[in-house]
Amino acid sequence: MQGFEGELLSLLPRLRRFARALARDAADADDLTQLALERALKARRQWAPGTRLDAWTMRIMRNLWIDEARSRSRRAQTFAPEEAGTLVGSDAHRDIERAAEMHDVDRAMNALPDEQREAVALVLVEGLAYREAAELLDIPIGTLTSRLTRGRQALAQMLEAA
Amino acid sequence: MMAITDDRLMAYLDGELDAAARAEVEAALDADAELQAKMETQRKLRARLSARYDPVAEEEVPDHLRAMLEPKVVDLDIERARRARPIWQSVAGIAATLVLGIAIGRLAPGGGSGPVAIENGVMIARGSLETALDTQLASAQAPDGPTRIGVSFAGVDGRLCRTFEDAALSGLACHGAQGWQVMVAAPGSDAQQSDYRQAGSGSPLVLQAAQEMMAGEPLDAEAERRARDAGWPQTR
Repeated sequence: MQGFEGELLSLLPRLRRFARALARDAADADDLTQLALERALKARRQWAPGTRLDAWTMRIMRNLWIDEARSRSRRAQTFAPEEAGTLVGSDAHRDIERAAEMHDVDRAMNALPDEQREAVALVLVEGLAYREAAELLDIPIGTLTSRLTRGRQALAQMLEAA
Repeated sequence: MMAITDDRLMAYLDGELDAAARAEVEAALDADAELQAKMETQRKLRARLSARYDPVAEEEVPDHLRAMLEPKVVDLDIERARRARPIWQSVAGIAATLVLGIAIGRLAPGGGSGPVAIENGVMIARGSLETALDTQLASAQAPDGPTRIGVSFAGVDGRLCRTFEDAALSGLACHGAQGWQVMVAAPGSDAQQSDYRQAGSGSPLVLQAAQEMMAGEPLDAEAERRARDAGWPQTR
């Protein structure tokens, strides 16, 4: 098996886990994984051999996820509250049903602000060192650790109440 | 004594502190029930996250995703002969990517016997080391497990072998009739100190030995999972 694809293939289980911690549900997570692989294959020349392919690919995935999250929140804002009320039976209804069958942990993760969720996913789920996670997110370590602490406290609170 | 901030406690849990700072947090924990309760809450949270997400990394990867990365038709022998890259490099690369994170600053529950026993004149893995070698997938490790598995590969003698590392010990073990025979043992991750510790890529000695004993390529995630599910059988 060729080097680049072969290494990505061996990273795939972890990439799916990372996607699962970022995305809303399993279907979205595999969509996100597929997009990230497409992007990584296209951009393979930008990867410097000898550097960490896992961090490089996770960064691609995280950026795709942020783009998607932003456009989703824009779409949500285009509905005024009263219009949203009329959506019962279509999208809004399905979202509610989806939320009802969700796992406690998923629901708690979904309730976190994006910046806390990605910090939790990188450090607690993927086990990256603080320095590695901060580099991947282009933020100072202090910023990472404070997001991480807030995210964990929020999660612990939500899950204790659940 | 200095108060332990929440960030500090989390850094302790994440294995981000050096020995002196760890000792400071541990002393504070002994004296402060509230701090202990906070830590307990966070340990539980970590366990719930692992229980939720780690199984995802053990699932079989959907075909459409695998297919994006698999070569269409490749004659393996030709491919192998053509490959210029020394195995050494790919072992180090894979070990560096897989051996992520480090054991959290927690000691194994006291007492108990060590990770290695001498039986019939050979070293055999026991206890948590044996369990890790038997069950843990390099591609799907919990970030805070005490033992990290590096690479898994078929040895030239047909046995399946794996490199491992915990706080005290790193090494290489091969599976045979007696269980996991430890072929190489070297100091573990605690022997390498720094502020923010690097993901341990294992001792060079261990990787060197792995390179010499390996027949072909390291197992990929799928092959590793199959080998585990089959109980680490002899490959020929």
